[in-house]
Amino acid sequence: MNCSDLSEALVDLVDGRLDGPERRDVERHLEGCANCRALVEDLRSLRAAAFMLDRREPKADTWSKLQAAIAAEPAPGRLVSFSRSLGVSGPTRANWPVWLGAAAALILATVIGLLPLMNRATEPHDDNPDAAAAQPDEPATVESVTAEFEAAERHYQKAIDDLQTIANKDTGELDPQVAAVLQKNLGVIDQAISESREALKSQPSSANAQSGLFDALRSKVALLQQTVELINEMRKGNQAEAGRRVQTLAQ
Amino acid sequence: MALQAPTLSTTPDMPPSNPVGDVKTGDLELVGRIRSGDGAAFETLYRQHATRLYNLASRMMGAHGEADDLLQDIFLLAYRKIGSFRGESSLGTWLYRLAMNHCLDVLRNRQTRMGQQTDSLDEPDAMPVASPVPVLGAVSRIDLERAIDTLPAACRAAFLLHDVEGFGHQEVGTMLGISEGTSKSQVHKARMRIRSYLAHGSKKKES
Repeated sequence: MNCSDLSEALVDLVDGRLDGPERRDVERHLEGCANCRALVEDLRSLRAAAFMLDRREPKADTWSKLQAAIAAEPAPGRLVSFSRSLGVSGPTRANWPVWLGAAAALILATVIGLLPLMNRATEPHDDNPDAAAAQPDEPATVESVTAEFEAAERHYQKAIDDLQTIANKDTGELDPQVAAVLQKNLGVIDQAISESREALKSQPSSANAQSGLFDALRSKVALLQQTVELINEMRKGNQAEAGRRVQTLAQ
Repeated sequence: MALQAPTLSTTPDMPPSNPVGDVKTGDLELVGRIRSGDGAAFETLYRQHATRLYNLASRMMGAHGEADDLLQDIFLLAYRKIGSFRGESSLGTWLYRLAMNHCLDVLRNRQTRMGQQTDSLDEPDAMPVASPVPVLGAVSRIDLERAIDTLPAACRAAFLLHDVEGFGHQEVGTMLGISEGTSKSQVHKARMRIRSYLAHGSKKKES
């Protein structure tokens, strides 16, 4: 056996998987070849060092983000409606925070979907010929904007209804005091949403009314996300972090 | 759900770390629950494999970061494709194959954008180091991470799966869509390149 023959057996030798006559041949060669002995020793050091490399952890919020991302997906393996994927058909107590996250993400997606509409409604149309040239479509009428807005809102309301079904079913998951704070905050936000809707109804093209509704929706999404994070911490038994999030929710 | 028994064959003094292996009824049960939309089942899959996949993705991407985004993409892809799992390999092996394919795709796209050539299996090895005495000594983790970052994608993938994560060559072959023999040659190539990198790096430091 010469040095070039050895290279084929090196991987198995270094990994401790070489035995029998082949191993004896390699060992005989190593006894007389300092270069190959040095190589084997280096590769063993390298192998050990590679196995001992640091283990890094993904960021803590990666799972939450993933939950939000899969919320927009139909259940794998079969096509289901959004309402079913949100668990209206009956999520178990063990998995309901996942579906709460899914609902929150769907609301977020809906709100994001409202953004282009809001931006379009608030952009000036008359004093920028370049912008007009870049938008060959007919300018949006008050009626078309209103109709689009209402359609998006119906979508949003459907998600809220589904979420409410889940929340009502599993109220016992949360400490009664925390649940009361949540309900109170949700009530305040719902009031703001209701008022914004009224304002928008009387002034469908008002940028202020649109942004007011958007702010209220955004607040609700934020509250729902905080709730999901709280429940996840509770499930993990992380009392300290859960306590911190309760404080945040109470603010 | 309990982790599956390791099937790793490493040197005896190294702890086994392989959570994949043969298909278990638990795999099929978990997949069934995920396919029916059970979010808790998908979270179980995530908790079992996220850290290891994160480390793989992180080292595959090297100094370019983005491992958290990549991990999210991998699991989103797994969620979408879980319906295609037929139990021909373990769920872990299926997931790692999907993950490595995605990492290699991302690297290929990045290289295409940057106008770099992708590595091929017949790429020449690094300059060999002929020395009658070992040249590495104690390998520092930082230097090793840097050396891994310089590897061509294909042999980096094999090296990470085998030497860092502890999978056997048969599993590495399945995960990368290559033969067991090719896995061995890729790992060997990676080790030789790393040795060369570290040896030349040491010489530069000495001079």
